[in-house]
Amino acid sequence: MSDPLNFDYKYGFSMPDLAVFKAKKGLSKQIVYQISKIKNEPEWMTEMRLKAYDIFLEKKLPTWGADLSKINFENMVYFSKSTDKVKTSWEDLPAEIKETYDRIGVPQAEKKYLAGVSAQYDSEVIYKSVQKELDKIGVIFCDMDTGLSKYPEIVKEYFASLIPTHDNKFAALNTAFWSGGSFVYVPKGVHVKMPLQAYFRINSERFGQFERTLIIAEEGSQVHYIEGCTAPIYTTDSLHAAVVEIFVKKGARVRYTTVQNWSNNVYNLVTKRARADADSIMEWIDCNIGSQVTMKYPSVYLMGEGAKGEVLSIAYAGKNQHQDAGAKMFHFAPRTSSRIVSKSISRAGGRTSYRGLVQVMPGATDSSVYVSCDALLMDEKSRSDTYPYMKIKENNVMVQHEATVEKIGEEKLFYLTSRGIDRVAAEGILVNGFIEPVTREIPLEYSVELNRLMQLEMSGSVG
Amino acid sequence: MSVDAEFMNFIDVSKEKKEKYQVDKPGKHIFFISNYSGTVNIEIDSVNAEVFIYGVYIGRNNDNFKLNTIQHHKSGSNISDLLVKGVFFDQSKFIYEGLIRIDENAQKSNAYQKNQNLIMSPLVFIDSRPFLEILANDVRCTHGSTTGKLDREQLYYLQTRGLSVDIAQKVLIDGFIKDVFDRMSQHGVKNDLYVKYKTN
Repeated sequence: MSDPLNFDYKYGFSMPDLAVFKAKKGLSKQIVYQISKIKNEPEWMTEMRLKAYDIFLEKKLPTWGADLSKINFENMVYFSKSTDKVKTSWEDLPAEIKETYDRIGVPQAEKKYLAGVSAQYDSEVIYKSVQKELDKIGVIFCDMDTGLSKYPEIVKEYFASLIPTHDNKFAALNTAFWSGGSFVYVPKGVHVKMPLQAYFRINSERFGQFERTLIIAEEGSQVHYIEGCTAPIYTTDSLHAAVVEIFVKKGARVRYTTVQNWSNNVYNLVTKRARADADSIMEWIDCNIGSQVTMKYPSVYLMGEGAKGEVLSIAYAGKNQHQDAGAKMFHFAPRTSSRIVSKSISRAGGRTSYRGLVQVMPGATDSSVYVSCDALLMDEKSRSDTYPYMKIKENNVMVQHEATVEKIGEEKLFYLTSRGIDRVAAEGILVNGFIEPVTREIPLEYSVELNRLMQLEMSGSVG
Repeated sequence: MSVDAEFMNFIDVSKEKKEKYQVDKPGKHIFFISNYSGTVNIEIDSVNAEVFIYGVYIGRNNDNFKLNTIQHHKSGSNISDLLVKGVFFDQSKFIYEGLIRIDENAQKSNAYQKNQNLIMSPLVFIDSRPFLEILANDVRCTHGSTTGKLDREQLYYLQTRGLSVDIAQKVLIDGFIKDVFDRMSQHGVKNDLYVKYKTN
C-alpha cells in the first residue's frame, strides 16, 4: 500500500530525529541489558527485565481480538534517549521540540492552572514543570526512571505486583524494555487539587514506546492523572505497549484520564490495572480516537469492602482502524460496585469492539454491576461488535447489562439540516451529543479538543 | 388482524434438538427452549420474518446448562426477539452465550436479546455473554442481561400480606417465569406448557 493514511491528519508532521542514543533495531537480550546499564538501574530491575524478555519470547500473541499478525518485532528500535538529561524549564528545551509541543498545544497547558506538565518526547521524560506545591504537600510526580533511582524502595514494593510480568505477552515486552512513564506517589490524606498531566509522543520512525506508569494513592488521598497523546505519521508500523499500575488505598480516590490520538499506523496494546481497597474509588476515563489497532481493557480489582470502580470510554474507528477496547471489573469484597459506560463510533469501514468482563466472586455480597454499551454506525461499510462477559458466583448481587447498536438518526439529521446546518456539521453535532456523557467527565480543555477532533473526523465523511 | 390468518411456525427446540434452523419464510416463527444444553443457530434469510425465541431454565441440584444461541440475520427487513429467563437453585450452573449477527446486506433488521436470571442460592454460578456483531448500519439491535436475586421489597410486600417467605418466593418466581409463557400465548401458542414449570 502506497498511502494507507488518506485523511488529513492534523498533527501529521515529523520533526527531524534528534535522539542522542538509539539502540539497534530488533530484539535481543543484549539490548535489554544495555538499556538497564545505560539507566544505571539496581540489579533487581536488570534481572526482572532479563526474565521478562524470556517470558515475552515464550508467550503467544492473543488469539482473540484485533489482528496483530502484521507486527514485526524485529523491525523496531526498543530504546532511544532524546536528550541526555531531564530538563526542568521550558526555555532550556531544544527549539524543534518546543515547536512540536506548540503544535499540539502544550503551551496552553503551561498556564498556571495546568501546573504539572511532564512531557514525553521519545522514550524519556525530558521536560517537566511541577509546581512547588506538589513538593510542599509531599506528592511525588516524576518520570519512572527518576522514580526508580530516587525512590527504589517504593518502586520495588509495587512494581509489577499488580500486573505480573507473565500476565500477557505485551506486559512482558514492556517489563523487558520499559522506559519513561510516570511515577506518582500521593501521601496519606493529601488531596491533589490540580490534575497531573503527561504528554506522550512518539517521534522516531520504527520506534516502539513502552512507558511504565505507577500510581500509589495512600489512605484517604485524591489525585487525577491525565495522559493525552498525539503522534506524527510514519510509513512503518509503530508499537505502543504501555503498562499502568494503580494502587488506591483505603478511602482514596484516583481518576485516570486518557485521550489517545496516535496516528493511525500505531499498534496501541496497553495493560492497565488498578487495585481498589476498602471504600476507595477508582475511575478510568478512556478516549481512544487514533491508532490503527488498539487493544485496551482498563480493569479494577475491587478488593476492599465498599470499593467503587468506574470506566467511562469512547472509541472511534475510522478507515483502517480497529478499536478493541473495553473494561474489566473484579468484585472480591462485599458492597462493591462497578459501572461501565462505553460509547463507540465506527465510520468509513472502521471497526469498534467492546470487550468486557465482570466477575463477581463468592463472598462479594450486596455488590452491584452496571454495564452499558452504545454503538453508532455511520455507514454500511463499518462494523460494531459487543462482547461482554459476566461471571457471577454470588447470589446476593445485582448485575445489569445493556447494549444498543444503531445508525445515526435520519430524523435528527433532517431536523438539523432543515435549520440550515450542513449535513457534515449536523453529523458532528449528533456524534458529540452521543459521546457527551463521557466528555463531560473530562477537563474542559480536553473535551473541547476532543469535540474538535470528532468534528474533524466527521468532515472527512463526505464524498 | 387475526393471528391465525398469518403464517405461524412453532418449534420446540428441546424436542427437535437440531443445531441449525433456517427461517426462509415471512411470518412468525416461534422457538421455545427449556432446560436445553447446546447450540441453537437460527439463520434468518427472509424479509418480513418475525422470529421470537423464548427460553425458560430452572436449575436444581447439580444441573449444568450451556446454551449458545445465534440470531443470524442473513437478509434484512426482519425481526428477531430473544428472551431467556432462568431461575437457579442449589449448585446449578448456567452458561449462556448469545450472539446477534447482522450481515452486511441485512439492512433494516431489528434484533433484540434479553437474558434474565434469578439466583436462589449462593452456590449458583452464572456466566452470561450476550454478544453483538453488526456489519450493517441501518439496523437497531439491543441486548440486555440482568442477574440477581429476588426483589427484597416485593418479598417484603407479600409477607406483609400474610404470605410466608416460601410462598412469597414461589409467587414471585412463578410470575417471573409466567411472563415468558404469556408472551408466547400472545403469539397464539397454547399456554399448557406453563403448568409444567410452575414451582409446587
